[in-house]
Amino acid sequence: MTPAPAREEPEDADGAAHVADLMPMLRRIVAARVGQHPAAEDIVQETLLRVLTAEDRIEPGMLEPYAITTVRNVIATMWRKQDRDARNQHRVHDPSEPEDAEELVVASEEQSAISVALSRLADRERQILLAHEVSGRATQSLADETGSTAGAVAAQLKRTRARMRVEYVLALEGVEPPTDRCRPVLLALSSADRRRQREVDAPRHLLECEVCARLSEPLMGRGPVRTDEIHVPIGADPDIVAARQAARELASRAGFTGTDLTMLATAVSEVARNIVRFASSGEVSIELLDRPRAGIRVVARDTGPGIGDLDRALEDGFSTYNGLGLGLPGSRRLMDEFDITSEPGQGTTVSMTKWIDRKG
Amino acid sequence: MNSGPALVSILRQGDTLVASVHTALDDSEMVRFQNDLVRQIGEYRARGVIIDVAALDVIDSFASRTLQTIADIARLRGAVTVIVGIQPEVAFAMVRLGMGMGEVATALDLEEGMAHLAGLRGSGARRE
Repeated sequence: MTPAPAREEPEDADGAAHVADLMPMLRRIVAARVGQHPAAEDIVQETLLRVLTAEDRIEPGMLEPYAITTVRNVIATMWRKQDRDARNQHRVHDPSEPEDAEELVVASEEQSAISVALSRLADRERQILLAHEVSGRATQSLADETGSTAGAVAAQLKRTRARMRVEYVLALEGVEPPTDRCRPVLLALSSADRRRQREVDAPRHLLECEVCARLSEPLMGRGPVRTDEIHVPIGADPDIVAARQAARELASRAGFTGTDLTMLATAVSEVARNIVRFASSGEVSIELLDRPRAGIRVVARDTGPGIGDLDRALEDGFSTYNGLGLGLPGSRRLMDEFDITSEPGQGTTVSMTKWIDRKG
Repeated sequence: MNSGPALVSILRQGDTLVASVHTALDDSEMVRFQNDLVRQIGEYRARGVIIDVAALDVIDSFASRTLQTIADIARLRGAVTVIVGIQPEVAFAMVRLGMGMGEVATALDLEEGMAHLAGLRGSGARRE
């Protein structure tokens, strides 16, 4: 197979068609360099675009070499950018230079926030962080100095960065956390430590604390993206449908089928409705489980008035509004496990689990 | 919401209204459906109402109660209601939840629902 077969003379001398003829060759080159990379087709299109815009300047017969050089450049640029992004991903600060005057103001605010955040770290933490990030010292050499291991230093750096991010966001927004629960929660979110988040009951705190709810946004999304968990905020009627559809979708991906799916969706619908009716706002989180066996857990949290008499609320037919009183007891029958806690004035948490019923 | 495709269609066939629910309805949409249907019963002097819920993947306590309310109101307005098309999984979940359809007539599908209404009319037992 010759790499560049002599093409027939174009009949209509249409430039665009001429350039489009390059596509098979470009695809071959891109595939050889980046394989099945998701950006492969983007690279081809980007190259075609560049060739098209430069077409007037290209001498006849030079279109192919021009395209080949261009595609190489596009690929190299992509690798360089990915490399740079990967190197800087863990950093608090974006190293690119700001351009506009407006951006410069923002940048100076960011800088002062960074120095405030740095000053709030413990001395030792700050020294190690600066030695590593600014002076570029390797974790191994830092470890040798303190008689520790490179792994321990890296773990400490990770914790320090998490703390640094929390302090930075607090300094940038110029707020002091309103309660003494805020910092531990923000730290657990910033370090993407799920065990710690559960220990400090981070989801409930975010519902209760407006400041943390706002601050948590830039802190989250740093951990790996989780596809086995969905949070649906509940505030109005349409959210009830959204919650049960999200639960159904996640569950069917996990292997739930038929009646189990419908029972799960019905139970989610009931607990989500309780939030809308009694608490007006809250959230339903749905999480796939693989231990002790495959299943799904639904947690409905609200910051409503709480339930005064839990035992009665779990009785069939007990309703404080003109309802049927089937929501909670019915949900308990639809799920395999059911747990409810409620603190008058604080809110209610319903936690329910359904296990996958594997046949055969 | 009103600009999108209709969530429910209500068609008239003789003196029977056939209401088909096309997609999952939230609580306020369910109540709007109830009001529309009740209004049309009077407008078209309907004597029978068939509600086709085959497209609903969940019938929870609120949906069941609304359907029963529609049937109660329709009866007071002189029309008989038949609910048709409840999916087997949905029926299972309703029983587990502790919901039935009470006194409301149900039928397997639209055809059975029509036959049920025709049967009532034939025996002349339409109105108590």
